[in-house]
Amino acid sequence: MTTLESSPERTAGRRPGALGVSVARKEDERLLRGDGQFTDDVDPARVLYMAVARCPYPHARIVRVDTSAAERLEGVQHVLSGPEVQRLSEPLGVLRPVPGAPRLPYYALAQDVATHEGQPVVSIVATSRHLAEDALELVDVEYQPLPHVVDVLAALEPDAPVLHPSVLGSNLLASNSDGRGDPAARFAEADVVVEGRFRIGRVTALPMETRGVVAQWRPGARELTVHCSTQVPHLIRKQLAESLRLRESEVRAIASDVGGGFGLKLGVFPEDVLACLHAMALHRPVKWSEDRGEHFRASTHGRESVHDYRIAADADGRILAMTDVYATDIGGWNSPFGSAQLSSVVFNGPYKVEDGYTERRVTLTNKTPVGAYRGYGQPEVNFAYERLMDRLARRLRMDPVELRARNMLKPADLPWVNPAGAVYDSGDYERCLRMAAERIGWAEHRAAPRRPRADGRLVGIGFSSFVERTGYASSRFLAKRGSQFGAHESITLRANRSGGIDAYTGVSTIGQSSETAFAQLVAEVFGTDYDAVTVHVGDTAASPLNTGSFASRTMIAAAGAIREASEQLARKTLRLAAFRLEVQPEELEIAGPLVRHRTEPGVAVPLAEVYSAAITGQGIPPGEDPGLEATSHFEPSDAAYSFGTAAALVAVDPETGEFGVERFVLVHDAGTVVNPKIVDGQVRGALAQGFGAALTEELRYDAETGQLVNGSMVDYFPPTAADLPPVELLHTEVPSPVTPFGIRGVGEVGTIPPGAAIANAICEALADHGVELDSLPVTPEKVWRALTSDKGVEQW
Amino acid sequence: MNVEVETMVNGKLVHASVPARLHVADFLRQHLGLTGTHVGCEQGSCGMCTVMVDGEAVKSCLMLACQLDGRHVRTVESLAEDDRLSPLQQAFKEEHALQCGFCSPGFLMTATALAYQGKRPCRAEIREEIAGVLCRCTGYENVVTAIERWFAEHPQGAREDETADGARTA
Repeated sequence: MTTLESSPERTAGRRPGALGVSVARKEDERLLRGDGQFTDDVDPARVLYMAVARCPYPHARIVRVDTSAAERLEGVQHVLSGPEVQRLSEPLGVLRPVPGAPRLPYYALAQDVATHEGQPVVSIVATSRHLAEDALELVDVEYQPLPHVVDVLAALEPDAPVLHPSVLGSNLLASNSDGRGDPAARFAEADVVVEGRFRIGRVTALPMETRGVVAQWRPGARELTVHCSTQVPHLIRKQLAESLRLRESEVRAIASDVGGGFGLKLGVFPEDVLACLHAMALHRPVKWSEDRGEHFRASTHGRESVHDYRIAADADGRILAMTDVYATDIGGWNSPFGSAQLSSVVFNGPYKVEDGYTERRVTLTNKTPVGAYRGYGQPEVNFAYERLMDRLARRLRMDPVELRARNMLKPADLPWVNPAGAVYDSGDYERCLRMAAERIGWAEHRAAPRRPRADGRLVGIGFSSFVERTGYASSRFLAKRGSQFGAHESITLRANRSGGIDAYTGVSTIGQSSETAFAQLVAEVFGTDYDAVTVHVGDTAASPLNTGSFASRTMIAAAGAIREASEQLARKTLRLAAFRLEVQPEELEIAGPLVRHRTEPGVAVPLAEVYSAAITGQGIPPGEDPGLEATSHFEPSDAAYSFGTAAALVAVDPETGEFGVERFVLVHDAGTVVNPKIVDGQVRGALAQGFGAALTEELRYDAETGQLVNGSMVDYFPPTAADLPPVELLHTEVPSPVTPFGIRGVGEVGTIPPGAAIANAICEALADHGVELDSLPVTPEKVWRALTSDKGVEQW
Repeated sequence: MNVEVETMVNGKLVHASVPARLHVADFLRQHLGLTGTHVGCEQGSCGMCTVMVDGEAVKSCLMLACQLDGRHVRTVESLAEDDRLSPLQQAFKEEHALQCGFCSPGFLMTATALAYQGKRPCRAEIREEIAGVLCRCTGYENVVTAIERWFAEHPQGAREDETADGARTA
């Protein structure tokens, strides 16, 4: 296996902890001892427990709510229902609203009508969780079931039941489009047009730690302290303050260890507001820990969309135009983060397309809201265009690798503006494609395809090339989209008398290894030891205002802030040390635990002494302020695009449709690498989620009843250690021109190509059977249905 | 209704009066403050709550606290000695076998139970054995590598470590 880790030239001569070295993680010690602090581990004195009664119907009018029996149960302390919540709070905010969408009155508890199974209707606080859940049994709610719609296309039909008639006349929450050139003219003159409808299943991020919240209110101090399993503590603080009608300074949000987020833990959910309302009413801490059944029905889902995609090409395989008109399901409400909209930013993939058009239709259905999930729109559209690239190659009798190479943006084409206005920064897309083709053995396979093996199976190879947007294209861009956040990250560095540096960040620890990577950058730029840097995460009372961990953005934005703050701190450190050593600052350098003279050995002072002098103000030059602290904020000039190509080798049984992914190669570029081990880990982890969504994961709703039919871990199947195919990772390292150090984001890339690469491999293996796969996940049943249907197309 | 329980947890004798319906994971977390044992699904599917009971890996959300009477429990908190991670934990750290770390106690205790039972699984067997613990961050590869490395480097140490807490003598 080739990985960044195993290439010796990367690490030769570098200090432990320096940029580019796989230093051991800061996070590991506590997590391996079971000493992490996840939200449910927070247990204040006199804490009470909350449980939530939820609507069992996909769409129902709430006729009557009687909580009197529940209130009489011994141990029950407080009960909230819809009208009181409306009196005490504002509707939930949306961090990333859909442009042009009206604001839906999404209160923490359903008011007159609930629009999805699992929507909170009543919440109860008691002295134990058992008692609170017992009390739920005594809540008497009379529902009048209403007609429902769970299919995203059916929801757009004129006769569909409308979810929010007081705000909208249909279930189309918003629609918008981007485009350039004249795609219609290109289609009219094209030699070949391929098109298809591609359906991407609804999945869940499924972090192993469910959501949770612990709220404490000190009325005298007017201080609401909220421990919350979130990726965005500062944004939670803002949203909670708005919903609860508090000043932002009255809310403190804390998220230290977070057991996975993957985009799900963005923004304030109804239960967060409810726990705070109870705590404020009772003047006692209130805890809610989501159980897995609730998680499936009440935490946001991901992905579901239907893409009508078209490609026009000339006889030589040169693409003339691409269009994607898609409906994306947002469920019963606009989710705390908003629907997946990134598809259009990467809808042309790595291909040079001057004429293009993309149109989004954000659609309401009677299902759990859909929010951000790792990849956030990008795996969906990749499946559509990469399936069609293979179809186009077959129509033209071209090698699919050559077809891709012919159309790929070349290094000289970059930076390049895509038809939706996104700027692809730099890269060598074709190199990744060629490396993937060589590694998987494409040339040999291509020479003799579709000869059955001894076991009767046919072997196919499929490719998926992609670009991935990481980070955001500046706060000015976000402002145009109505986002409730900017694009910056921040850091505060503070020297201490032990000779160390405390780094304070509003980022929480969600598995992305920020504590390690941040410390590496501070050590690299400042010059001290990695071990001397301690990173404190996720407390809004301690950290400068920041944005948070999502969109693979943390590192590319934080690196700039860390560099600037470290340089500031180093400049002052050298001035103070120069005063002590009676030399000029330019003659000195920071080296590990010392400031030393560049040329005269023996002239040195320990950092701890310099820090002490600064902190006490004793022994610093006249005119110099005491203290040794720096805060910086940084916003990258644009988004940085990661890119790559995946290749899958799949063996299929042409009788049964059963198949196995026998090899999977990913060649990938994330720009400059801070810590190779972390990069490999992020890519592998995202790939596992990508394989899940490609093969086994799908949340299914029964059209008749509107119920989620597989809302538990016994019938929803994320991959286990025994399920994953072998993965070969290769990296290239083209620095991005738009980010500090040339870093590109890395968190989500693995979710993008598995679906298309695997489906393309199966279709290649079964090309003589005319099989086409148009939906994710790809299952043996779907392959079998395609094999046995007249048209060779799976039926869905 | 409460039930009296006497059990050995991480080498210490514990007497407790617990509700009959309390499961072991909640008992460990809420009554004993051993929050390293995590809860992910409460139906035995995710493996976050895996602990060792009388030498076997057990999903502690599927066992009642009252069933611990007379038994010996080991949780993740028992692995490290003072300031030193155990060799198994050290292997996880060196192989980057964790990201968010929420699932790590489940993997660690599953591997600990394998060693306790005298098993020496190969790589493919490790994959099967740990399939009862889910992870959404790592893609498992490094978890398998860490456990494989631990078995390779500490064939005796692993076994001795398991018996050192006196679990079988109390």
